[in-house]
Amino acid sequence: MRDKSIGNLVLDTVNYILLALIAAAMLFPFLYVFSVSFSSYKDFLQSDILLVPKTWVMDAYRFILSSPAFPRSLLVTVYVTILGTVVNLFFTSTFAYVLSRPVIGQRVMLFLVLFTMLFSAGMIPTYLVVKETGLLNTIWALILPVAIAPFNLIVMRQFFMGIPSEMNEAARIDGATELQTFWKIILPLSKPALAAFGLFYAVGHWNNYFSAILYLNDPAKWTVQVILRQIVIVNEPTSTLAGGAALMENAPPAETIQMAAILLSILPIILVYPFLQKHFAKGVMLGSVKG
Amino acid sequence: MNKKKTLAVSLAAVMALTTAACSSSKPEGSAAPAPSGGGNAANKKFTVSMMSFAFGNLPPADGRGVKMINEKFNIDYKPTLVVQSDYIQKLSATIASGEVPDITVMEGADANFYKWAKQGAFLPLNDYIEKYPSFKLIPKDVLKAFTVNGKIYAIPRYYPINYQLTAMIRTDWLENLGLKMPTNYEELKQVALAFTKNDPDKNGKNDTYGIAMAQNINPNYAMGAYWDFTAWYHKNKDGQLIPGSISDAQKEKVAWMADLYKQGAITQDFAVMNWAQTNKEFYSGKAGIFIGTPRGMSEPYMQSLVEAVPNAKLAPVPPFVAPDGTQGFASTSGAYGMTMFSAKLAKEPEKIDRIMEMMDFGRKYYKPEEMNKSNPDFDWFKGNEGTGYKIVNGNIASEPAEKGLSPALYYPDGIAWAPNDEANGYSKTYSTPLLVNVAQQFEKLHKETKHYFNPVNSVFSETKQSKDSDLNKMLYDEQTKMIVGQRPLSDWDKMVKDYMDKGGAQIIKEVNDAMKEAGVEGRWKEPGQ
Repeated sequence: MRDKSIGNLVLDTVNYILLALIAAAMLFPFLYVFSVSFSSYKDFLQSDILLVPKTWVMDAYRFILSSPAFPRSLLVTVYVTILGTVVNLFFTSTFAYVLSRPVIGQRVMLFLVLFTMLFSAGMIPTYLVVKETGLLNTIWALILPVAIAPFNLIVMRQFFMGIPSEMNEAARIDGATELQTFWKIILPLSKPALAAFGLFYAVGHWNNYFSAILYLNDPAKWTVQVILRQIVIVNEPTSTLAGGAALMENAPPAETIQMAAILLSILPIILVYPFLQKHFAKGVMLGSVKG
Repeated sequence: MNKKKTLAVSLAAVMALTTAACSSSKPEGSAAPAPSGGGNAANKKFTVSMMSFAFGNLPPADGRGVKMINEKFNIDYKPTLVVQSDYIQKLSATIASGEVPDITVMEGADANFYKWAKQGAFLPLNDYIEKYPSFKLIPKDVLKAFTVNGKIYAIPRYYPINYQLTAMIRTDWLENLGLKMPTNYEELKQVALAFTKNDPDKNGKNDTYGIAMAQNINPNYAMGAYWDFTAWYHKNKDGQLIPGSISDAQKEKVAWMADLYKQGAITQDFAVMNWAQTNKEFYSGKAGIFIGTPRGMSEPYMQSLVEAVPNAKLAPVPPFVAPDGTQGFASTSGAYGMTMFSAKLAKEPEKIDRIMEMMDFGRKYYKPEEMNKSNPDFDWFKGNEGTGYKIVNGNIASEPAEKGLSPALYYPDGIAWAPNDEANGYSKTYSTPLLVNVAQQFEKLHKETKHYFNPVNSVFSETKQSKDSDLNKMLYDEQTKMIVGQRPLSDWDKMVKDYMDKGGAQIIKEVNDAMKEAGVEGRWKEPGQ
């Protein structure tokens, strides 16, 4: 008995140490980004690695916030994320609800959804669709083409199917229409699902940069990820002929500025995370067990 | 069984539907962007679309600069600037959608350029080259790189043809150790080792080393065209030119680097270090040898070196005498960036004239002393003194791009085509004294040195376009392994054979054939040419 608990104690200690080490490894990049962003460029150049800034300076932040581009792009991103998530949830939940009810043509609809999961159009066909529908250079181009994620739709349908059909029947007896049933009975029961998928969608919108680059021509409409990419990533030039030249002249901004930009662009979504964490965890189990 | 059947049927139905949709939408798409031509007067306003890549913060689509361009050239200018990192994808999508912008800018003549040129997306420019002063200045050899089947499809953007990136050394360290400027690789090795072992900064700590290097053996420290990785200088036994990357001279250089690496005189983590990190090695005062050039040096980097080592001194390393008696660097391609015009413009000659006039204006050359408001054209182009730019200590300080104040920001090609490299006066554009000084030394060095005209820059090879970057990556990787000692140097011939088998032989054949056809060959240019 006693032996076992000593064994347990040792095991626990080892476990905790290991987990603490892993956690430290995860935290290290954040700490590094944080410290570099508050350091002076000179300190950064002079030291091998910075875990705590030698002198605390706000130069990098002042530089980023001195031009309207970054704050504006943050606002655009918040706007796209909120609007996009509302659109996502509306279309996904309504469609999923229809698919969870015994309606005519359900199999065909479901097949069409599954089809897009297996075969998706490439960049250029999608671009043509966006262009012909007149969405080019509007922020709707970031929202409508991804209004429904098929995987989320199917999981949400599964969730709706888990709600006993007696609920619907009871509502019907009390005189509710289909719409009222959905709005007043089903949706309130599905709050955890909505929160989880809302977060999935929101993170997707927040991190999305490629459609913004592809579909938006006006820098005033750019999202923060585009600006961030512009600040942090400078590709090796495609032509090797004068490649060296481009490398010299278009050196990316100082690392302190890069790190500050990274921090500013993840901050809002990190602040949202803790509040939605519990729903996220619940969301993982959605549809896994049928009630 | 039954399920499978339904699936197959509905799949077929979906396929049929999508193909039908595709084919029916096609003619519509190509008919839509036809502009309403037919105006006659010379003062007709044209809408001109432009697509280009850019670095850093971008100007707004409707800035003051655009309005100035619209007024001056009587056009409705629609520039689209895209982040450089994803530009090619966006351009591909735009061109595939059938809307080739009136003006298209690319970084270099890559496979896409040749594909689109052959498909007839761009306007042949042969008739316009002689008409505009800044186009006339482009050397014939440079234009050849943008010629497909005898037709010139692009106007190259200026890059100084002789200002290669070459080695630069901390002369204060040389003085501290009582060493001379190296004149061959053996002496350079001794210097690099002394920088590593003999405490050149006299701080009593073993915290310095010789040569800063980044991944892909960059810079490749070619102390002359003979050793240049990218120059086609050496010939094989059949008399064909071969790339420097597989030459015996490169093999010797790799052996030289391997030796230095083993003794700690080259950046130890170079295989995984990017360009910015390697710059940090040199400009923080850790490494003593790096590269420099008159144009495009970074002021913040140099300032950080001055702060770290207030009495730092720098000088370029002159080219070494090669075993074949030559002495001089390889020249560059003479262009970085290129501008194409939509083939659809052929129907509107007046619009072409208007666009070319605008294009030519941006490439106009100004003497350094004219670069202020005394020259109205320059003043206009930079957005007027006091608004678009300021003169600080005799240098031009432009307002941030995102304010969009000057026409230059929106130009497809806003780099003056200078009559020769020196005429640019690049050294005068810096403000850090150390940087001004070393840039002047580089200018003097290049002015007095012969340069090898690298013929591969003037020809096109299909296989080279499609395979060169992969093959080069392979060569970089294998040679990196040899430098760090993971692979013996005796494997060199095996590596070259691998290169040949994977497409290198075909590239060499195509490039040599193309050179014969275009009548270009490698040659030494006299100093100053």
